[in-house]
Amino acid sequence: MMGLTDAFTLVCVVAGALLFLAGTVGLLRFPDTLSRLHALSKADNLGLGLIVLGLLPQQASPMGGVKLVCIWLLAQLSAATASQLIAGIAARRKPQA
Amino acid sequence: MTAPASPRQPLSWPSLLGRGLFFFALWLVLIGAAPKDWPVGLIAAAAATGASIPLWPPESRLSLTGLVRFVLRFLPQAMVAGFDVARRAFARRIAMKPGLVTYRASLRPGMAQGALCAVMSLQPGKLPVSCAASGDMRVHCLDSDASVTAELAADEAAFLRILPGDRSGA
Repeated sequence: MMGLTDAFTLVCVVAGALLFLAGTVGLLRFPDTLSRLHALSKADNLGLGLIVLGLLPQQASPMGGVKLVCIWLLAQLSAATASQLIAGIAARRKPQA
Repeated sequence: MTAPASPRQPLSWPSLLGRGLFFFALWLVLIGAAPKDWPVGLIAAAAATGASIPLWPPESRLSLTGLVRFVLRFLPQAMVAGFDVARRAFARRIAMKPGLVTYRASLRPGMAQGALCAVMSLQPGKLPVSCAASGDMRVHCLDSDASVTAELAADEAAFLRILPGDRSGA
Protein backbone atom coordinates (compact mmCIF):
# COMPACT_ATOMS: atom_id res chain seq x y z
CA MET A 1 0.00 0.00 0.00
CA MET A 2 1.48 3.29 -1.12
CA GLY A 3 1.54 6.23 1.27
CA LEU A 4 0.28 9.67 0.37
CA THR A 5 3.78 11.13 0.17
CA ASP A 6 4.92 8.35 -2.15
CA ALA A 7 1.92 8.97 -4.40
CA PHE A 8 2.73 12.69 -4.45
CA THR A 9 6.35 11.90 -5.38
CA LEU A 10 5.26 9.52 -8.11
CA VAL A 11 2.82 11.99 -9.69
CA CYS A 12 5.28 14.90 -9.58
CA VAL A 13 8.27 12.96 -10.90
CA VAL A 14 6.26 11.36 -13.73
CA ALA A 15 4.87 14.79 -14.69
CA GLY A 16 8.39 16.22 -14.59
CA ALA A 17 9.72 13.43 -16.80
CA LEU A 18 6.88 14.04 -19.28
CA LEU A 19 7.84 17.72 -19.43
CA PHE A 20 11.46 16.78 -20.16
CA LEU A 21 10.11 14.56 -22.95
CA ALA A 22 8.00 17.49 -24.20
CA GLY A 23 11.06 19.74 -24.24
CA THR A 24 12.96 17.19 -26.31
CA VAL A 25 10.03 16.64 -28.68
CA GLY A 26 9.77 20.43 -29.08
CA LEU A 27 13.49 20.65 -29.75
CA LEU A 28 13.05 18.18 -32.60
CA ARG A 29 9.73 19.44 -34.00
CA PHE A 30 9.72 23.22 -33.63
CA PRO A 31 10.43 25.12 -36.86
CA ASP A 32 13.43 27.36 -36.05
CA THR A 33 16.31 27.82 -33.63
CA LEU A 34 14.65 30.44 -31.45
CA SER A 35 11.42 28.46 -31.08
CA ARG A 36 13.48 25.41 -30.14
CA LEU A 37 15.09 27.42 -27.38
CA HIS A 38 11.62 28.10 -25.96
CA ALA A 39 11.08 24.36 -25.73
CA LEU A 40 14.33 23.79 -23.88
CA SER A 41 14.30 26.74 -21.50
CA LYS A 42 10.66 26.45 -20.42
CA ALA A 43 9.61 22.82 -20.49
CA ASP A 44 12.84 21.53 -18.96
CA ASN A 45 12.78 24.09 -16.16
CA LEU A 46 9.25 23.17 -15.17
CA GLY A 47 10.15 19.49 -15.47
CA LEU A 48 13.10 19.91 -13.13
CA GLY A 49 10.92 21.97 -10.76
CA LEU A 50 8.32 19.19 -10.59
CA ILE A 51 10.97 16.51 -10.01
CA VAL A 52 12.47 18.60 -7.19
CA LEU A 53 9.00 19.17 -5.71
CA GLY A 54 8.27 15.46 -5.88
CA LEU A 55 11.55 14.51 -4.20
CA LEU A 56 11.23 17.04 -1.36
CA PRO A 57 9.01 14.83 0.89
CA GLN A 58 11.49 11.95 0.47
CA GLN A 59 14.36 13.88 2.04
CA ALA A 60 15.61 12.59 5.38
CA SER A 61 16.91 15.98 6.51
CA PRO A 62 15.84 19.57 5.79
CA MET A 63 19.39 20.14 4.49
CA GLY A 64 18.71 17.76 1.61
CA GLY A 65 15.57 19.71 0.73
CA VAL A 66 17.41 23.04 0.76
CA LYS A 67 20.06 21.48 -1.48
CA LEU A 68 17.42 20.32 -3.98
CA VAL A 69 15.84 23.78 -4.10
CA CYS A 70 19.29 25.35 -4.56
CA ILE A 71 19.98 23.00 -7.46
CA TRP A 72 16.67 23.98 -9.07
CA LEU A 73 17.40 27.70 -8.63
CA LEU A 74 20.92 27.38 -10.05
CA ALA A 75 19.60 25.37 -13.01
CA GLN A 76 16.91 28.04 -13.65
CA LEU A 77 19.54 30.74 -13.59
CA SER A 78 21.92 28.96 -15.93
CA ALA A 79 19.15 27.90 -18.34
CA ALA A 80 17.76 31.43 -18.54
CA THR A 81 21.18 32.96 -19.11
CA ALA A 82 22.40 30.34 -21.58
CA SER A 83 19.21 30.38 -23.65
CA GLN A 84 19.47 34.16 -23.96
CA LEU A 85 23.10 34.02 -25.08
CA ILE A 86 22.30 31.35 -27.68
CA ALA A 87 19.24 33.34 -28.81
CA GLY A 88 21.39 36.47 -29.29
CA ILE A 89 23.89 34.59 -31.46
CA ALA A 90 21.15 32.81 -33.45
CA ALA A 91 19.32 36.07 -34.13
CA ARG A 92 22.49 37.83 -35.24
CA ARG A 93 23.35 35.07 -37.69
CA LYS A 94 19.91 34.95 -39.23
CA PRO A 95 17.89 38.11 -38.55
CA GLN A 96 14.66 36.68 -40.01
CA ALA A 97 14.76 33.49 -37.91
CA MET B 1 12.24 55.12 1.17
CA THR B 2 14.09 57.33 -1.29
CA ALA B 3 17.47 56.38 -2.69
CA PRO B 4 19.52 59.51 -3.33
CA ALA B 5 21.87 59.44 -6.30
CA SER B 6 24.89 59.02 -4.08
CA PRO B 7 28.37 58.41 -5.46
CA ARG B 8 29.53 54.83 -5.38
CA GLN B 9 30.65 53.97 -1.89
CA PRO B 10 32.87 51.05 -0.96
CA LEU B 11 31.19 48.09 0.65
CA SER B 12 31.48 48.11 4.44
CA TRP B 13 33.28 45.27 6.18
CA PRO B 14 30.20 43.93 8.01
CA SER B 15 28.22 43.64 4.80
CA LEU B 16 31.19 42.00 3.04
CA LEU B 17 31.41 39.52 5.92
CA GLY B 18 27.67 38.91 5.69
CA ARG B 19 27.95 38.12 2.00
CA GLY B 20 30.91 35.83 2.62
CA LEU B 21 28.99 33.92 5.31
CA PHE B 22 26.00 33.60 3.00
CA PHE B 23 28.13 32.15 0.19
CA PHE B 24 29.89 29.79 2.60
CA ALA B 25 26.51 28.60 3.93
CA LEU B 26 25.36 28.01 0.34
CA TRP B 27 28.53 26.03 -0.31
CA LEU B 28 27.98 23.93 2.82
CA VAL B 29 24.42 23.15 1.70
CA LEU B 30 25.55 22.10 -1.77
CA ILE B 31 28.73 20.18 -0.91
CA GLY B 32 28.22 18.96 2.65
CA ALA B 33 29.53 19.95 6.05
CA ALA B 34 32.64 17.69 6.33
CA PRO B 35 35.37 19.83 7.99
CA LYS B 36 38.11 18.50 5.68
CA ASP B 37 36.34 20.20 2.74
CA TRP B 38 36.09 23.57 4.46
CA PRO B 39 39.29 25.13 3.04
CA VAL B 40 37.93 24.74 -0.50
CA GLY B 41 34.60 26.17 0.61
CA LEU B 42 36.25 29.17 2.24
CA ILE B 43 38.21 29.90 -0.95
CA ALA B 44 35.02 29.53 -3.02
CA ALA B 45 33.10 31.84 -0.66
CA ALA B 46 35.88 34.44 -0.82
CA ALA B 47 35.92 34.30 -4.61
CA ALA B 48 32.12 34.62 -4.75
CA THR B 49 32.24 37.61 -2.40
CA GLY B 50 34.90 39.23 -4.58
CA ALA B 51 32.78 38.67 -7.68
CA SER B 52 29.71 40.07 -5.93
CA ILE B 53 31.34 43.47 -5.36
CA PRO B 54 31.13 44.62 -9.00
CA LEU B 55 28.04 42.51 -9.79
CA TRP B 56 25.97 43.64 -6.82
CA PRO B 57 27.05 47.14 -5.79
CA PRO B 58 26.21 48.26 -2.25
CA GLU B 59 23.75 50.94 -3.34
CA SER B 60 21.42 48.32 -4.86
CA ARG B 61 18.59 47.33 -2.59
CA LEU B 62 15.95 44.67 -2.74
CA SER B 63 12.39 45.12 -1.62
CA LEU B 64 11.33 41.99 0.24
CA THR B 65 7.62 42.46 -0.35
CA GLY B 66 8.31 43.18 -4.01
CA LEU B 67 10.34 39.99 -4.21
CA VAL B 68 7.60 37.90 -2.59
CA ARG B 69 4.96 39.34 -4.90
CA PHE B 70 7.25 38.72 -7.85
CA VAL B 71 7.86 35.08 -6.92
CA LEU B 72 4.13 34.51 -6.38
CA ARG B 73 3.54 35.86 -9.88
CA PHE B 74 6.54 34.12 -11.43
CA LEU B 75 5.85 30.54 -10.30
CA PRO B 76 2.39 30.14 -11.91
CA GLN B 77 3.68 31.88 -15.03
CA ALA B 78 6.61 29.48 -15.28
CA MET B 79 4.15 26.58 -15.00
CA VAL B 80 1.97 28.06 -17.74
CA ALA B 81 5.11 28.48 -19.88
CA GLY B 82 6.16 24.86 -19.46
CA PHE B 83 2.72 23.42 -20.14
CA ASP B 84 2.26 25.77 -23.10
CA VAL B 85 5.46 24.49 -24.73
CA ALA B 86 4.50 20.88 -23.92
CA ARG B 87 1.06 21.35 -25.50
CA ARG B 88 2.60 22.77 -28.66
CA ALA B 89 5.26 20.05 -28.83
CA PHE B 90 2.77 17.20 -28.56
CA ALA B 91 0.17 18.77 -30.88
CA ARG B 92 -0.51 16.88 -34.09
CA ARG B 93 0.25 19.98 -36.13
CA ILE B 94 2.71 22.55 -34.82
CA ALA B 95 0.52 25.64 -34.54
CA MET B 96 2.63 28.70 -33.91
CA LYS B 97 3.48 31.98 -35.54
CA PRO B 98 6.96 32.80 -34.26
CA GLY B 99 8.22 36.33 -34.66
CA LEU B 100 10.31 39.09 -33.14
CA VAL B 101 8.68 41.93 -31.21
CA THR B 102 10.48 45.10 -30.16
CA TYR B 103 9.80 46.26 -26.64
CA ARG B 104 11.08 49.44 -25.03
CA ALA B 105 12.04 48.71 -21.45
CA SER B 106 12.05 51.53 -18.96
CA LEU B 107 14.85 49.84 -17.07
CA ARG B 108 18.28 51.22 -17.86
CA PRO B 109 20.73 48.81 -19.48
CA GLY B 110 23.06 46.94 -17.20
CA MET B 111 22.79 44.27 -14.57
CA ALA B 112 19.15 44.97 -13.76
CA GLN B 113 18.08 44.80 -17.38
CA GLY B 114 20.10 41.64 -17.88
CA ALA B 115 18.32 40.08 -14.93
CA LEU B 116 14.97 41.19 -16.33
CA CYS B 117 15.83 39.52 -19.66
CA ALA B 118 16.77 36.31 -17.87
CA VAL B 119 13.50 36.28 -15.92
CA MET B 120 11.46 37.10 -19.02
CA SER B 121 12.96 34.14 -20.87
CA LEU B 122 11.20 31.86 -18.37
CA GLN B 123 7.79 33.46 -18.98
CA PRO B 124 5.24 31.90 -21.35
CA GLY B 125 5.86 32.32 -25.08
CA LYS B 126 8.60 34.94 -24.79
CA LEU B 127 12.39 34.86 -25.16
CA PRO B 128 14.44 38.09 -25.12
CA VAL B 129 17.00 38.01 -27.92
CA SER B 130 18.94 41.22 -27.50
CA CYS B 131 19.00 44.25 -25.25
CA ALA B 132 20.17 47.49 -26.89
CA ALA B 133 21.79 50.30 -24.93
CA SER B 134 18.75 52.48 -25.61
CA GLY B 135 16.59 50.09 -23.61
CA ASP B 136 15.04 48.51 -26.70
CA MET B 137 14.67 44.77 -26.31
CA ARG B 138 14.00 42.35 -29.13
CA VAL B 139 11.82 39.55 -27.84
CA HIS B 140 11.11 36.35 -29.71
CA CYS B 141 7.52 35.17 -29.33
CA LEU B 142 5.91 31.86 -30.19
CA ASP B 143 2.70 33.72 -31.04
CA SER B 144 3.54 37.10 -32.47
CA ASP B 145 -0.22 37.83 -32.68
CA ALA B 146 -0.76 37.66 -28.93
CA SER B 147 -0.79 40.84 -26.85
CA VAL B 148 2.88 40.48 -26.07
CA THR B 149 3.72 44.11 -25.34
CA ALA B 150 1.17 44.37 -22.55
CA GLU B 151 2.44 41.13 -21.00
CA LEU B 152 6.03 42.34 -21.20
CA ALA B 153 5.09 45.62 -19.54
CA ALA B 154 3.34 43.72 -16.74
CA ASP B 155 6.41 41.49 -16.30
CA GLU B 156 8.66 44.50 -16.10
CA ALA B 157 6.38 46.33 -13.66
CA ALA B 158 6.43 43.30 -11.35
CA PHE B 159 10.21 43.09 -11.65
CA LEU B 160 10.67 46.81 -10.89
CA ARG B 161 8.89 46.37 -7.56
CA ILE B 162 11.88 44.33 -6.38
CA LEU B 163 14.23 47.24 -7.00
CA PRO B 164 13.06 50.33 -5.16
CA GLY B 165 14.69 53.45 -6.54
CA ASP B 166 16.42 51.60 -9.38
CA ARG B 167 14.36 52.99 -12.24
CA SER B 168 15.54 54.63 -15.39
CA GLY B 169 14.93 58.07 -13.89
CA ALA B 170 15.26 59.76 -17.27
